[in-house]
Amino acid sequence: MPGLNSTTRKPPSREGGFVDPAALMAIRSLELRARVVVEGFWKGLHRSPYHGFSVEFTEYRQYSPGDDTRYLDWRLYARSDRYYLKRFEDETNLRCHLLVDQSRSMDYRSREVSKSDYARTLAATLAWFLHGQGDAVGLVSFDERVREYLPPRHRRGHLRQLMLALDQNAESRATSLSEPLRRVAELARGRGLIVLLSDLLTPLEDLEPSLARLTVAGHEVVVFQILDPNELAFEFERPMLFEDLESRQEVYVDPQALRAHYLSLFEGHGREAEAVCQKLGASFHRLITTQPLELALAEFLRGRSRRNKLVRRHVGGASPR
Amino acid sequence: MNFLAPWFLLGALAVAGPVAFHLIRRSVRERMMFSSTLFLRPTPPRATRRRKLEHILLLLLRCLAVLLLAGAFARPFFPKHNALPPPAETGRQMILLLDTSASMRREGLWPKARSIAERYIKGASLADRVGLMTFDRQPRTVFSLAEWSSWPVDRREALAKERLDTLSPGWGGTHLGLALTTAAEQLGDLAHLTATPGARDLALISDLQEGAALDGLQGHDWPKGVRVIIERVDPARPGNAGVQILDSSLANSGDGLQARARLVNARDSNREKFLVGWAAEDGTGFSGKPAEIYLPPGQSRVFSPPRPAPGAATVALRLTGDEEAFDNTAWFAATEKETVTVAYFGLDPANDPDHMRYYVDRAFPETPRRQVEVVSVVSNSVFSPALLNRASLAVVPGGLAADEARVLRDWIAGGKNGLLILSNAQSGASLGALAGAAELDVSEAAADYGLFGEIDFTHPLFAPFADPRFSDFSRIHFWKHRRWNLPANLAVRVLARFDDRAPALAQISLGKGSLLVLSAGWHPADSQLAVSSKFLPLMQTILDWSGSAAPARSQFEVGQALPSPASAGDALQWRKPDGKVVTLPAGTPFSETDLPGIYLVTGGSRTRRFAVNLPLDESRTAPLSSDDFARLGVPLSTAVASAVVTSPAAKRRFLEEELENRQKLWRWLVLGLLGIALVEIVLGGWLANRVKNFEVTP
Repeated sequence: MPGLNSTTRKPPSREGGFVDPAALMAIRSLELRARVVVEGFWKGLHRSPYHGFSVEFTEYRQYSPGDDTRYLDWRLYARSDRYYLKRFEDETNLRCHLLVDQSRSMDYRSREVSKSDYARTLAATLAWFLHGQGDAVGLVSFDERVREYLPPRHRRGHLRQLMLALDQNAESRATSLSEPLRRVAELARGRGLIVLLSDLLTPLEDLEPSLARLTVAGHEVVVFQILDPNELAFEFERPMLFEDLESRQEVYVDPQALRAHYLSLFEGHGREAEAVCQKLGASFHRLITTQPLELALAEFLRGRSRRNKLVRRHVGGASPR
Repeated sequence: MNFLAPWFLLGALAVAGPVAFHLIRRSVRERMMFSSTLFLRPTPPRATRRRKLEHILLLLLRCLAVLLLAGAFARPFFPKHNALPPPAETGRQMILLLDTSASMRREGLWPKARSIAERYIKGASLADRVGLMTFDRQPRTVFSLAEWSSWPVDRREALAKERLDTLSPGWGGTHLGLALTTAAEQLGDLAHLTATPGARDLALISDLQEGAALDGLQGHDWPKGVRVIIERVDPARPGNAGVQILDSSLANSGDGLQARARLVNARDSNREKFLVGWAAEDGTGFSGKPAEIYLPPGQSRVFSPPRPAPGAATVALRLTGDEEAFDNTAWFAATEKETVTVAYFGLDPANDPDHMRYYVDRAFPETPRRQVEVVSVVSNSVFSPALLNRASLAVVPGGLAADEARVLRDWIAGGKNGLLILSNAQSGASLGALAGAAELDVSEAAADYGLFGEIDFTHPLFAPFADPRFSDFSRIHFWKHRRWNLPANLAVRVLARFDDRAPALAQISLGKGSLLVLSAGWHPADSQLAVSSKFLPLMQTILDWSGSAAPARSQFEVGQALPSPASAGDALQWRKPDGKVVTLPAGTPFSETDLPGIYLVTGGSRTRRFAVNLPLDESRTAPLSSDDFARLGVPLSTAVASAVVTSPAAKRRFLEEELENRQKLWRWLVLGLLGIALVEIVLGGWLANRVKNFEVTP
């Protein structure tokens, strides 16, 4: 398995049952990282407050006359001598698009882990997790436009291909959400799950119409805003020239004088993004690159569960959707 | 500690710079890559409000560097009195080296040079010793240090000025290198004579023109303690041009004189356009139209002057249009062609290569300086003594009639040379008749062939062959040669012998002349001599030796000895351009060429002309700088006018400069400065790295 050497050298530390992202990034293979996180998540599950959740509820329905016999589960019949339809298993297969922001602003890091590394590892983790459950996972990596597109599939080798695509370090540019989201809306046929991993450090005027296009199409949208601790706290001491990673624009800033103003603007931006998501029924999660990825996964599942309950309540609990 | 230039200490105020820079935080240079500047707005730079100096060590280093720099420029020294130059009681040895070359003839230079020399003489204390030397091509002592010491103390200044008054610039070139080294050696010798020599100074009073020869200065081992003070005298108007006739290119072609000349323009000249032409007889203008020549400063150019007007006396090329006149005339003496007659006593045909005459005609080809005419003095058995009297050399290929022998003998005894060839055994009679002895016994040698066995290379005839490259005569075979016994009663000198010890060539002195006796012919029947490479030079040497050699050169420089033209006479009369006549024995070179102009030499009925000119380098009058001397390793004294320092303040200043120059503390300060700069770079780099790392991972 690629990257195995690096894991045998130094096993990632597990503080409080979770792996520290900095230690996790020491594993070179993205696939292995994802596996470590997911396994850690399962191991810590018995202590987790989110016990018993799953992406999709699957069930067998007892055969009743008039049902299509094509969907009978003959294996189960062999074991239990009863007729069950496996119709629901097919229906609950999820088509998930992972939208990973690869713009230059994602390269920023004040600690060991950059936002980009964090986002890719999280994407890999989700992909591994979902694939493990039999869901079809696709990938869209973008900066100001779509750079890489892997349609959601669940077949042998697809996960590997997805990991390789995630691992590629393409020459990235500025962030723009509108164009990539419009393109995804075109590409993602049928309803599915759209997971957006980005720092959202871009003007938000276009976010609402772009997300709306997805939610209107019936997609379930989950937004992870990934941030660096220093972006949140702005803990710089001395005045210096700040250079924008994307636009290369230079601004001379005295952090001590500007900190309050920066924090208010930054918080405002975050709140605005969250408000847009709430308004459109999308889940919004803010992740800091120092947070364990297992928590992010748990956050994701909890959000999904909450939403499914809502949906079930809304449609009377007859269908998982 | 004192300072030579204390005003430079004001530069120490520049320490305010580093302090201010450390107060104002140098943060603009720091740069942070940030994910987005969306939420940032520019804030103006501010001075630190904490009023706290950062990086104290770095600041101290920078302040120290500024202080050291200011200190070095201020030229500090320790006022140690025992380190000062020896007190005046020890006495100073000084040689004044006064330039009397032709370039010192420029307007205003000589009075200035003299006044400087007088100032030095006047400034000499009782304990000082002063010597005076002049130089142009050669250094000359006017009065030595010892002579100065021998003079009465109260009359020294007057006597020295008296000697100085007799001096004036001459016409010679400038060999500054030789003069400096000679004078320095004289001063250096004093160190051995006296136990505690005082300061030994050499004051060079000169225009320092760049044409001066500086040979010998490079790498010269200067005596310890000798210092050279340079006193340059500058002319009222800079710039000069000079002209020189190129001797080698002179030719008297059919339609008049064709010469080439070189024009130089000094580097500091302000003029570029000159007129050059042949001088008129009265010396004031040009004969004919002069050429207008454009020549930028610092360059030289070779050109052909216009042909002189037909019939004009062309003795000098004249230049006008430059600042100085002393070098504007180039004297000219055309190389004269000499016609020489060789008398031949044989009757053999001139165009038959089997006979000797054929080779005599071809042994003397025409050259630019000599045309040789070979005449037969015996034709149709008639002897014509008149033809003989014109000749410089007589060649006798064998037998002579009795009257011919008598006339020839007298002719030789009068100071001419004859060459007798013993072409057969019967030649003994002729030899006897010419030598004035009884018939000498001449017999054919028995050997198959003879070779030269020994040659007297000290004799003028063979001296040109003395070099080992030319001294191999062993390849010349003599198929036949004659043996003869040297008569005891005659002054005979054997110049060459065959390998059987028989004389090959002998010189018999007859009165004032000589008879050369060659024991074999040069025609093919006798030997290979005529077809060997030695024949022509040998015959030319015999002719030259017989008094027909014309000096090859007729252009000379002032100070060069003029060669004496070969003459049969006893004495030569030399006439200098100023009309002075000097009589010298023939063969003695004339060395009193202290004036430029035409020198005439008269010997017998013939008169030859020599042109003596200024060296062209004297015309290159742009001054050398003291840096040029420093580069050549001349130990220059820093105090230029040290000899005339009289006021107490000036004397103290001079002493301080000397002291500072010896201690050279500024070098240590600069060294310290370099060390601090190094530490500052390392420390600054380290601090910058530390700050950077801190910013990246706060």
